[in-house]
Amino acid sequence: MTPAIEMKGITKFFTSTQVRANEGVDFSVEPGEVHALVGENGAGKTTLMNILYGLIKPDSGDIFIDSQNVQIGHPDDAIKHGIGMVHQHFKLVPSFTVAQNILLGIEPNEAGFLNQQKENKLVDELAKKFNLPVDPAARIWDLPVGMQQRVEILKVLQRKAKILILDEPTAVLTPQEVNELITVIRGLSRLGYTIIFITHKLIEVMTVADRVSVMRGGKMMGTKKVSETSIPELARMMVGREVLLRVKKKDIQRGETVLEVRNISVADVNGLAAISHVSFQVHKGEIVAIAGVSGNGQTELVEAISGMLHLDGGEIIFKGKTINEASVGERRDLGMAHIPEDRMVVGLNLQTTLDENLIVSKYNHSEFSRYGFLLMKAISDFAEKVVKAFSIAAARPGEGIAMLSGGNLQKVVVGRELSGNPSFIIANQPTRGLDVGSIEFVHKTLIEERDKGAGVLLVSVELDEVLALSDRILVLYRGVIQGELNTATATEEQVGILMAGGTLEDLKQQQKTSEPSDKWEVK
Amino acid sequence: MKDQRLRKLLDAILVPLLAVLSGLVVMGILILFLKKPLFESYATLFSNGFGCREYGNCIFITALERATPIILTGLSAVVAFRSGMFSIGQEGQYLLGAAAAAWLGYAIHLPPILHALVIMIAAMLVGAGYGWIPGILKVKLGVNELLATIMLNSIAALIIEYLVQFPMRADTSAVAHSPVIDESAQLMAFLPGSKWGVGFVIAVIAVIVVYYYLWHTKPGYEQRMAGQSRKFALFGGISSDNSAVRAMLISGALAGLAGAIEVTGVHRRIMTGFSVGLGFDGLTSAILGQIHPIGVFIVAILFSGLKLGAQIGLQLQLGIPRELGGTIIGFIVLFVAAGKLYEQGILRARDWFTRRRGTNLKGESP
Repeated sequence: MTPAIEMKGITKFFTSTQVRANEGVDFSVEPGEVHALVGENGAGKTTLMNILYGLIKPDSGDIFIDSQNVQIGHPDDAIKHGIGMVHQHFKLVPSFTVAQNILLGIEPNEAGFLNQQKENKLVDELAKKFNLPVDPAARIWDLPVGMQQRVEILKVLQRKAKILILDEPTAVLTPQEVNELITVIRGLSRLGYTIIFITHKLIEVMTVADRVSVMRGGKMMGTKKVSETSIPELARMMVGREVLLRVKKKDIQRGETVLEVRNISVADVNGLAAISHVSFQVHKGEIVAIAGVSGNGQTELVEAISGMLHLDGGEIIFKGKTINEASVGERRDLGMAHIPEDRMVVGLNLQTTLDENLIVSKYNHSEFSRYGFLLMKAISDFAEKVVKAFSIAAARPGEGIAMLSGGNLQKVVVGRELSGNPSFIIANQPTRGLDVGSIEFVHKTLIEERDKGAGVLLVSVELDEVLALSDRILVLYRGVIQGELNTATATEEQVGILMAGGTLEDLKQQQKTSEPSDKWEVK
Repeated sequence: MKDQRLRKLLDAILVPLLAVLSGLVVMGILILFLKKPLFESYATLFSNGFGCREYGNCIFITALERATPIILTGLSAVVAFRSGMFSIGQEGQYLLGAAAAAWLGYAIHLPPILHALVIMIAAMLVGAGYGWIPGILKVKLGVNELLATIMLNSIAALIIEYLVQFPMRADTSAVAHSPVIDESAQLMAFLPGSKWGVGFVIAVIAVIVVYYYLWHTKPGYEQRMAGQSRKFALFGGISSDNSAVRAMLISGALAGLAGAIEVTGVHRRIMTGFSVGLGFDGLTSAILGQIHPIGVFIVAILFSGLKLGAQIGLQLQLGIPRELGGTIIGFIVLFVAAGKLYEQGILRARDWFTRRRGTNLKGESP
């Protein structure tokens, strides 16, 4: 069978960042297959696909489509050859309707006048044809992310693409939306469409792909049939060494209480109750996980504990002292560390240097400033130290951090928060968007801190992570604690039913009757 | 390491430099339209803006003198912008600072030096106070600082006009002006017949102080972090509100100081039409100078030189309207704003260079 796409010897060197993003990459995709392209952040996957889509010009190499050597200098060329791309960050006009977005630039018109009804009908037919139901008249800003992605896919299909490139399509989706997307991909593949699926989540590769190609450091490491490979093997190919997919941890040495929240309530930005009457304790030497579907009050809980949001009621006690009125800085000085969920906007300032990012919570200390002046030498020495201690390979003291990959950015955050021996660490979604190597690093580090005697509050929507790291699990549902489980004895089903708002009693009932019931399915 | 730093510097000045060159090219086209000699015009512009006629008679000195208030109002804009405050209130703060200086110059009598010093401090306080208004409005009520400062500029222009026309008016001459300030309040000039003097030195010191403040002190760090990302500041325990108000106080004080120096060093009084947009020139030099104290310093002198060259050289010697100077500056600012224009070219040039150098260090991975 002739490959649908064949890329040979693709090389690309970015002079602005001095990065060799692709080096002699060979890549071929069979017609009608789902082909996963995996690799760590910065391995060159997106660059390779941007070259195929005509967004980037390669320094050398050839592209063949159906055995024809083609020049793709612009996305228009790619579209002409039947290649469509759905970007990680959607390129939709939020104030336009679904139909207007899908038909943008190719609107059916009558003597220059648009016909809304006709557009809607056209999109409706398209959606029916591919079994991707959408409301053509809905505005994009009203749609959930998963639906927006569907619009992007339809947009590409409308332009007669036969080969779809999906760039990390699951990164922004909820677990349910991921399942829907996987169904969509399978359906398209059955209709004869070729799909290239960029990801770094290996579990998705195993569920959806036919073949998988692995990239590392700009080079192609190889292509495998999914049926003939395994997650550990792919992880090894991606990272270049053995990866512990589940970090081992010692038995718990529970110490005294380090943080206690008593009956706290917090309002969200709109003034609605996000957390109501929540109480729990975190001890030294233990990891307490807050599990739950995202949007159940996790953000507000974390911001209230770290001092970024005011309490509406209740009390937070840290090391025996009430800290309700303490500022963010005072809490940090008491030994609280915080790894926020959004590293790009909250945890880091991408516009400034590594050094200045590393001192944000410490610039007041006598170590880094005296009489109001910053001690530049001490600061750059500290940056040097953190870079070494946390092996942040690409970061250089005194230089910007905007070009670092997600994994390295998170290392900067973790490095800053964990240097200075905190006694309590809030880790909010610490591995979101990271590749397996970086996840392993973060998990290891958190467990080390626990073993050193710190209390850790881990907030995560990933069930795997919660079960692998924590000692106790608190499930947050609509701003209240739905239940508490001991991780050693907890099962996935137990956590799952609590996450969906059920109780453990319900689970027992359900198992007793053992009738298939969709009552507790997360919707 | 050194290579990196040089590269960063080149990156920073490349667009302004190209913008200035483009502005000068546009000037050439305009001169051709006027049917004037092209090369002679350039020569006249530069020799009259930046040159010396004979020993001790340098127009460049005048350019430095004209640049002094622009440097200070430019620094004022730098402090505000770097702290995330889009204040364009320099003009208003400058005017009120000048009014305070003119009044204290004749209303109180103190020994030399001390008198000038008191005036400058008072003008800085007045400017800071006028900067505090939009700052506090922004922090407490969320009032857009851009709109607030536009309004405050107009108010200040009317206040100073009223002061000159009525309470501070010296005599009944056709052009209203305030009394000349005491000799003890006047700033010393370095050369006879010129007004280039102590004020310029103060401006140079201010450049260094502002640079040091922003990049080497705790409050400066707080202001820059809060200016770049409010969420990051909140997360790290920095109060963005305090930073914003502090930035406006400092910004106002610098603009007020500019007003004081213009009165005590150049005009010795205020008169009707005192507002000629020096605050706005500071604003533009801040933008063209990459919102950096050193950049402001260079651009302010460049602007003053261009204006002088157009005024004394082009207008008087070649009969080209002096407004051409302002036009060139306008075009330069436009070209900076359209910096994207050059991006493609810069990238291509850089590609070509690295490829040529690449033959020497080929195969080196990043």
